[in-house]
Amino acid sequence: MTSTIVKRLRDLAILLFGLTLVLFFMLRLAGDPAIVMAGPDATLEQIDALRVQYGLDKPVWQQFLVYLRNVLMLDFGQSLASGVPAMEKVMSMLPATLLLTFLAMGFTLIVSIPLGAWLGYRPDAPSRRFTAWLVFIGQGVPGFVVGLVAIQIFAVNLGWLPSLGYGTVQHWILPTISLGAFLIPKLTRVLAANVAEAMREDYIRTARANGVRSRELLTRYALPNALLGATALVGTQFAFLISGTVVIEIIFSWPGIGWLLIESTQTLDFPVVQAIAIVIAVLVFVINLLTDLAFQVLDPRLKKAPA
Amino acid sequence: MVISAEKRLQRSRLRLGGTLELWLGGAMAGALLLLTLFSQFVQTHDPMYGDLMVRFAAPGSEAHWLGTDNLGRDMWSRAVAGLAWSLSCALTATLIAAVIGTVFGLLAAESHGRLRGVIRQIVDLVLAFPGLVAAICVIAVVGQGFWPLVLTLGLLTWPVFARVVYAESLSLMERDYVLAARMLGVSRFRILLGHVLPGLRATLLVMLAFHFADMLIAESALSFLGIGAPLGDPTWGNMLAESRQFLFRAPWMLFVPAGAIVLAVVTANLLGDGIAVAARKRGRAIDS
Repeated sequence: MTSTIVKRLRDLAILLFGLTLVLFFMLRLAGDPAIVMAGPDATLEQIDALRVQYGLDKPVWQQFLVYLRNVLMLDFGQSLASGVPAMEKVMSMLPATLLLTFLAMGFTLIVSIPLGAWLGYRPDAPSRRFTAWLVFIGQGVPGFVVGLVAIQIFAVNLGWLPSLGYGTVQHWILPTISLGAFLIPKLTRVLAANVAEAMREDYIRTARANGVRSRELLTRYALPNALLGATALVGTQFAFLISGTVVIEIIFSWPGIGWLLIESTQTLDFPVVQAIAIVIAVLVFVINLLTDLAFQVLDPRLKKAPA
Repeated sequence: MVISAEKRLQRSRLRLGGTLELWLGGAMAGALLLLTLFSQFVQTHDPMYGDLMVRFAAPGSEAHWLGTDNLGRDMWSRAVAGLAWSLSCALTATLIAAVIGTVFGLLAAESHGRLRGVIRQIVDLVLAFPGLVAAICVIAVVGQGFWPLVLTLGLLTWPVFARVVYAESLSLMERDYVLAARMLGVSRFRILLGHVLPGLRATLLVMLAFHFADMLIAESALSFLGIGAPLGDPTWGNMLAESRQFLFRAPWMLFVPAGAIVLAVVTANLLGDGIAVAARKRGRAIDS
């Protein structure tokens, strides 16, 4: 187990280095930070002065080494727009994003697990076939479209819920549902398939022959096995969920790092973009590591077999 | 004779039942394709021309059966124009990803040692990072428009293909016919192209369909965020973005492009599911 963690940490280090390298050179291609910092009315002398001040007159590879050294010392530079340290700015907006992703993940699990179990238990029953079709159609509805339509119906037409902002619990409902819509159909379908497969296994037949009641058959025998497969999916889909967060935050004016990402790319605020990319990479890494560890706790077979 | 006829009937029924999705998806895809090819003829108006006299016409009005937007532009014509844009974007991006991913997947499966390690590392790294976030960062630099968008999406998502092609090729290479070819002295290159690649056909088709659906969603999301298609162009993402200011006045400005996206994505999903089911059925028929 420790060796897998060491290997994972090595992967993270490579990822972060690659990310820093690629982003640094790409964003330098995009534009001159000195011009952005100086603003539209600056004279050439002012821009040159800024170049010297921030070391932008040196060769690019030297600038990269300086940047890399700073990053290693957890100094991600200042936001070009506001002068605040970039990482500080990102960290101040991270809680909102974390809140939204965890709410959506929780909502996804609450909907998908019972629905998937119900669909998989007897997949050929007519009502479940119909529901399975609905879920299939639902998979074709992008989460951000769900968000827009939800605003139209629940905020504009019915006026039940606020559409923009972050303040109260009412504000959380629509974003949570919309972000959940990214994953719910996929997870439900995987769970239903897993449960259906488990129901055909010998141990289910044995349990049934021994007189285990059908409800228990599902909840104690088939579902735990199906959930195991779904745990892996939750881990790998977390990156996808983060992608969804960006669009959902824009739609609902949710003050998280997705919103910040769009704003800083539009204002060419490179240090903030780089800090966001690094934070997201670490976030996805941590979540994947946690699901892997959960996997090992949940599945006793993995403890015996060497990874 | 009787038995074989009965069996044939059974088999054909099975095939029909199993590929209902395929038929439905195929029909819908055909319809969308026809709409794209003949978009010039089915558009009732110029998608870019706004008639300010008929702003916010509701769907069902005489000249504009899907209504008009805030500038009096015809929603139906704009949706059809958006279809052409979405299909060509998603198709090109998917093909780029598929070609690069297949090449690298086959390379990794064939090579041993360092090259395989490097490819796998790159694939893992790219897949560990949220695709849309990466696309936003890249497009901020390379700018908007068809080729920047398509190249960004294709070059960021090929690892999806590489991973599956790699895993499938490894198992195909263990098959007897590949071993036989190898013993007969067929070159590695010809084994890959002539014996392994054809075995990937079904998998690749399924992946193409699902990836196409993902690219449709990604393209419309990026356009919606204002960083995909050039602003003002008739694309579904742009139309969604434009609709946001007029939720009270003209909800159809939202529902038309939203419906179009859902229709296109469901079509691609149907095709993917249908091909998967059909391939599985055929595989089982061969096995038994």
